Formats: sequence, structure tokens, C-alpha cells
Amino acid sequence: MKTLDQIRPSITTLDAIPAIPAIVQPLASILQLPVEQVNVEQVVQLVSYDSSIAAQCLRMANSPLFGRRKTETVRSAILTLGLKRVQAILLGCCLNRIVPADKWAFNATTFWRHSLGCALISRKLATLIGYAEPEKAYLSGLLHDLGMLVNTLACTDEYRKCFVAARDERVSVESAELKELGFTHCQSGKILAEHWKFSADVVAVIEFHHHVAETPSDPALVALIHLSDLLCRLRDLGYGYYEAMAVDLARDEAWLSLSKYCPQLATLDLARLTLDIDGAMGEIIALVDAVFRPDSSASI
Amino acid sequence: MGTTGTKPVSKSETEDVKDPAYLKIRDLIYEISGIYQPEEKLYLLASRCSRRMAVVNAKTPAEYLSHLTTRANREAELRLLLNEITIGETYMFRSPPQLEALRTVILPQLITSKNAMGFKRLRIWSAGCSTGEEPYTLAMFLLEESATLLSGWTFDILATDLNDNSLSAAKAGIYGEYALRSTSELLRKKYFKPYDEKRLQVSDKLKSIIRFDRVNLSDDSKMIFLKGLDLIFCCNVLIYFDLNSKRKVMQHFHSNLLSGGYFFLGPAESLYQVDDRFRLVHFPGAIGYWKAPPNYSGSEKS
Repeated sequence: MKTLDQIRPSITTLDAIPAIPAIVQPLASILQLPVEQVNVEQVVQLVSYDSSIAAQCLRMANSPLFGRRKTETVRSAILTLGLKRVQAILLGCCLNRIVPADKWAFNATTFWRHSLGCALISRKLATLIGYAEPEKAYLSGLLHDLGMLVNTLACTDEYRKCFVAARDERVSVESAELKELGFTHCQSGKILAEHWKFSADVVAVIEFHHHVAETPSDPALVALIHLSDLLCRLRDLGYGYYEAMAVDLARDEAWLSLSKYCPQLATLDLARLTLDIDGAMGEIIALVDAVFRPDSSASI
Repeated sequence: MGTTGTKPVSKSETEDVKDPAYLKIRDLIYEISGIYQPEEKLYLLASRCSRRMAVVNAKTPAEYLSHLTTRANREAELRLLLNEITIGETYMFRSPPQLEALRTVILPQLITSKNAMGFKRLRIWSAGCSTGEEPYTLAMFLLEESATLLSGWTFDILATDLNDNSLSAAKAGIYGEYALRSTSELLRKKYFKPYDEKRLQVSDKLKSIIRFDRVNLSDDSKMIFLKGLDLIFCCNVLIYFDLNSKRKVMQHFHSNLLSGGYFFLGPAESLYQVDDRFRLVHFPGAIGYWKAPPNYSGSEKS
């Protein structure tokens, strides 16, 4: 079994893969901006930077989900899809490239559905409860499980066993990681996030989304992502297996912590929120499948 | 329940669904019945409304909204629309996540707490059992689990409805392909016998653990005698009750249940602002209402 210290060097050499940090960092900063402040030209440039990502955007803009007329340029594809979707595609494609096809210890599509689902639900929840920076919530949701990519790269075989154990015992990935690896995706994700110089709040989300009370900074954001992650796992956007759990959300420590900042949580209709999430699932699944279809993974 | 794909939506449907009157109809239905349709699924609501619109000759969704809000027969129309919305929801094994939550979380919890008291018996009530699909599903589920999880346990299921015709059909237990569409071949062979060319009838063994009875949920004198229940299922029944009646029924359900017992509604129903005695508990793909023990203060229950 490898220790976290043993895999540390391999995490910090991940940026040797061409083009990853070059795109991820500017993207991460763009993703934190409200849509109206995003410079469209900058996004067009980022998309055009990479022909396979550009092709991906064009293909998606022309898919039946969006397309009524033919889209032929990167700019019109971006306008058709909307900036937020394009950014999700970009970031997703970049991160997807880190992991070669034979290194996935779990189903990549399921993982991206969970990540994008968590991003969308985080933003929705942020808006719903009046959290000031919904776009930061979106980015943090998208990246919260970064450590799973690290683990699957650094110890593929052990991580496969870890997912088998989690599925068989119907427990969380985190507890299977502790048992099988001795460390969790929160710890390994933090190493990569710091190495990539992500902002302190995103690093805090990556490290503490399963242990909200321990976060030294941004407790509201960390609590928000914890809840979105939980809601995803409860509504068919988890890790592709049945996690036996019963959650009294209103008594969850993250919910109670968030209630201090957002008094409107006390009267939020939780059942309606989860039914809304079910409703949004169609789009999330269509979006992820369009970006990460198995036949497209070879080209990105 | 999680969707696993998207339904192709025609252009006319998407244009139609954009009519803001549908959102108002959705909110009205939610406020009155507790049945909720997320915005992405308004096309389903629109198609249900269109059938009623044709009958009452309403030309636009806005005009139909007036049938539900300002016209003299609005209550009757709302009931007819609710019937349209819930139609076709009754078949066996309709909600696998609910059964999975029972198998993986709830039954182990109940077994632990009841074992400690020396009881090896479960009592379950299907309140508003309609034509019997729900109680028979529960009966098959429990019998299947009795080989492992529920080994040595006995259980009885009370299935009640107000409608005599539904109850007669439930007691007869004769079902066609629609009701059985989610029932595996294995279970069909085990718990059914052929009835005619197209239908099957439930076995006597399955019937023997269910007691059918006519109960009006608004009848206080009958409700107070139903005690000691572990689980109550009440799907698409409360939607027809006004707020005060709902609250009264919920009060009964709460006292009918043993401490630690669970109450389940239909998958799209919510009890928001109807009752705050129960704890809303999320399971993967299902929502349940829990009668917490008096000393309860935690969050994650497994």
C-alpha cells in the first residue's frame, strides 16, 4: 500500500502533461467571475487554443439538445451553448486529459456527472439561499473531488479495489479510501490544488468537504459544497453504486453551520429542492454525455 | 427517482410549456395537493392539462387556469386534473429506491431496535391501497427478505381504501401486463398463478399476509384504533385532502406509528408545511418521514 507521502511526487509532476495548467488556471479564474463580467473574446481564445476542445464545442452546439440551426464557428458555438456550459466543457476536458483511458479506476462518465451535477446544484443552492458568490460555488462544486483523479492516477489498482469495496459494502468512497488506501481524496486533492495554486477557498472545499467543522476558512462555501455533494449522491448523481444512507439534512452539521449565515434555510422546502434536482438531472446527464461520450474520449 | 435519460420533446411541446400559466398551475397544484413538478418536467404537466383543456374547451393554459381558480366548479376540476396527473402511477415495484432504502437502512434499524425489545414482528399499513399493487409489492418484498434479513420474523400488512370497487379488485388480485411490467419473471412464477390468457392472479400465500379493510382516513373513531405500526405508506391519497384534513390525518399517522417508524408518500408528493412532527429523511432516490425517538438530536442515521 502506498502512503500519501509516497504518491506526493507523482502528484506534483502531473503538470508535466502539456497544456494542463496553462488552461486550468486562467479558466479557474474566469469561472469565478459573474457571467456578465466574463470577456467572451478570452473564452473564444481559450477554446480556439485547442482544436479538439473547439471541435467538442461545435459538436455539442450542433447536437439536438441545442441546435436548431447549424453552428460553424467557435464564436457562434459559444454563444449557442452559453458561457457557463463552455467553461464546464473546457475545464472538464482539461481535467479529463490528466487521466489516460487505462487509468480510470471508476467510470469516468459517472464521475463527471457527479462533478458537474455538484457544480450546478451548488450554484442553484447558492442562489436559493442568497450566498454572495454563486459562481465560486459552481467552480468549487466542479472541482471538489479533484483528489479522486489524483488517486486513480497515482494508485490505479488499489483504487479499483477501493471502489469495489465501497460498492459491495454500500459505504462512502471516503470511508473505503481510508480502509483501502489509508488516506482520502480530500488529502490528495489538496496537494494537487495547492500545487496548481488554486485559491485558498477552493483548496478548503477540496480538503474539507467531508469534514465541514474542521475547515479553517470559508465555512459557508465548504458547507454549501458538502450539501450539494450529499444531494447529488442522494439523487442518482453519486458514484454509480448504491450508498446505504439515511440523511436528516436539516440536522446535518453543514446545514446547521450554513443556517448561521443564511437564515432562510430554516424555511427552505427540502422535499421540493430534491424534486427540483431530479428535474435538472436530464440536462446534467445530457451535458456530461455530450462532452464525455466514450467515443469522444479518444479525441480529447 | 432519478431519470436516466431525456425524453425527446417536440417543438410544439417546448413552445407550449413556456407559457407562464403552466408555472402558475404547477404552483397551485403544489400548494393544494403537495404534488410537485420541477420546471424541466412541465411538459408532462402540460400534456396532462391538455387532456382536461380539450374536455372543458379551454383554448389556452391561462384560460384553463381560470377553470382551476375562479370558476364555480374549480374544486371538481382540480380533482379531475389530479386524477390525470396520478393516472398510470399504480403498478407493482413502482419505486425501487424506496424498497432499497427499506432493505439497506430501515429494516436493519427496525430489526435492531425491536430485537432489543424481544419483538420479531413487523406491522405495515398501506393506507389508500387502491387496487392492491402496493400491498402485494410489500408482501413479495418481505417474503423475499424473510430468507435472510427477516429470518424468524413475522409480518402483517394492513391494506385499506375508501373505495369498495378498488378494494374488491385488490382482494381478487388479478393483474395484467401493465401492473406487472416491473415484476420479474422469477417473482411472477413464485407468487402468481395463471388466471386467463392475459392475466395473472396473486397466490393465496401472498394474500394470507394482507388484511384488506375499508377505512376512511377522515374517520377519527377508526383511526385511533390503528396502533403499533412500523411503516405506513400513503401514496397519492392526501393530495385530495384540504390542509386541515391533511394535518388531522398526519396527526393520526404519527400516533399510529411506533417510535422509530417511517411514513412514505408518493415520489412526487411533499408534506411541506403540513406537518412538522416527522423528520424528513433522505435516502438515495427516496424521501421518508421518520417518527424520531423523543431523545433524537442527530443527523446521519446510519
